[in-house]
Amino acid sequence: MKAFGDIWRSNLFQKWLMAVSGLLLVLFLLGHLSGNLLVFLGREQINEYAHGLRTMGHGMIIWVVRLGLLSFFVLHVTSAITLARRNRAARPAKYHRVESRASTLASRTMLYSGLLLLSYVLYHLAHFTWGAVHSEYYAQACPPSAGCVDCIPDVYSMIVSSFQQPLISITYLLSMIMVGLHLNHAIASAVQTLGVTNRRIVPVMRILGPGLSIIIALGFSSVPLAIILGFVKI
Amino acid sequence: MNLRLHIWRQAGPNDTGMLKTYDVANVSEHMSFLEMLDVLNEDLIAKGEIPVAFDHDCREGICGTCGMVINGRPHGPVARTTACQLHMRTFKDGDEIYIEPWRAKAFPVLRDLVVDRGSFDRIIQTGGFVSVNTGNAQDGNAIPISKPDADRAMDAAACIGCGACVAACPNSSAMLFTAAKVGHLASLPQGQAERSSRAMNMVLQMDAEGFGSCTNHYECEAACPKGISAEFIAQMNRDFISTTFGGKA
Repeated sequence: MKAFGDIWRSNLFQKWLMAVSGLLLVLFLLGHLSGNLLVFLGREQINEYAHGLRTMGHGMIIWVVRLGLLSFFVLHVTSAITLARRNRAARPAKYHRVESRASTLASRTMLYSGLLLLSYVLYHLAHFTWGAVHSEYYAQACPPSAGCVDCIPDVYSMIVSSFQQPLISITYLLSMIMVGLHLNHAIASAVQTLGVTNRRIVPVMRILGPGLSIIIALGFSSVPLAIILGFVKI
Repeated sequence: MNLRLHIWRQAGPNDTGMLKTYDVANVSEHMSFLEMLDVLNEDLIAKGEIPVAFDHDCREGICGTCGMVINGRPHGPVARTTACQLHMRTFKDGDEIYIEPWRAKAFPVLRDLVVDRGSFDRIIQTGGFVSVNTGNAQDGNAIPISKPDADRAMDAAACIGCGACVAACPNSSAMLFTAAKVGHLASLPQGQAERSSRAMNMVLQMDAEGFGSCTNHYECEAACPKGISAEFIAQMNRDFISTTFGGKA
């Protein structure tokens, strides 16, 4: 048996960490998306939902989930950067001509779409969680910092007034294209890394992965699109 | 047909090397790609120049010795074909052909198109075998092996170790080669006793040799002259991870 440190540093273990953390983040995205879509059911539904998330388990659950998300995110990004650096070092001299046969735009741009998503996530948190940017819209949610402790926050107004700004909506829509591109390769790739060889599952995953990426990207995009087209109003 | 070749020339491992252009005339469409290079070399020798060094042995597509990147694809444009079995009828008069060696840190160029694939041998040395105590050879068919298992082992064993997978991989990863060797023995009862340590040791040796890691582009599968499936990579991933967490692969 090898020392666990050697295994931890190995490419395959780092890949496994990236796959597991990535799939857990995809699960989170699906939960996040189902919450977002409550906007279409109306102001009360999404506000109650947001209030529920904040207060679930005496307000403890949200912190457990946040801590989990943070650690998956850190693992995902650090393993990706470690592997990308090693992969670059593995081919010091480049070819003059390369003709690809199997790779896709999504698979070749994983590092770039990933890094763009990293910056997007920071912006997204600054917007809707920290209120550090676009704070005029954030204030409409009546956050705890504004004295709202037990009241139900008005996230509906925060979302709708934010996305009524074309620049904000366009930024989000572009980012969702990035999410779709990243997941287009990511989901099926993670299944391969986890070692699924079942001949009934693998072909399904190679279709389900890109399919799910489109569903997630379109699902998230539907909210800013509906707001900017005037289907969802204050 | 007449061709213009751009061939990587490098005098030795420490030379920087560069692409050089050669014109070859009267190439027959029946020649193999290597025979076309033979003609070029005869010509170079006659002119007192140094011939282009390239690896070759069986010239019938089974030994895995030949290998060069032809127009950006390992072993050239035809799928499931080694460079020696690639025929000049694939090309047409006036074509320009780029010929480069396999590119990987773990495959240093020795000269021109010849690379050192000793790293593959060292991966095999860490586990690509079944340990057998000495004694009489076992009776044939003493260990029954089902047809699906035998077929699967054969599919993996078709790997000739040419290195096209590494050359095609954007990360110079040797996952398909190593996975084929791991998967071949993992499919057979004789390979079970050392299955866990084999997967672990060969994977770690692959890292030590400086190969990159797999990003699941499947360029290797497309470039493999023997059509080895990337499914063996998934199986190696699973064997490695279950060994890591203390289970048996």
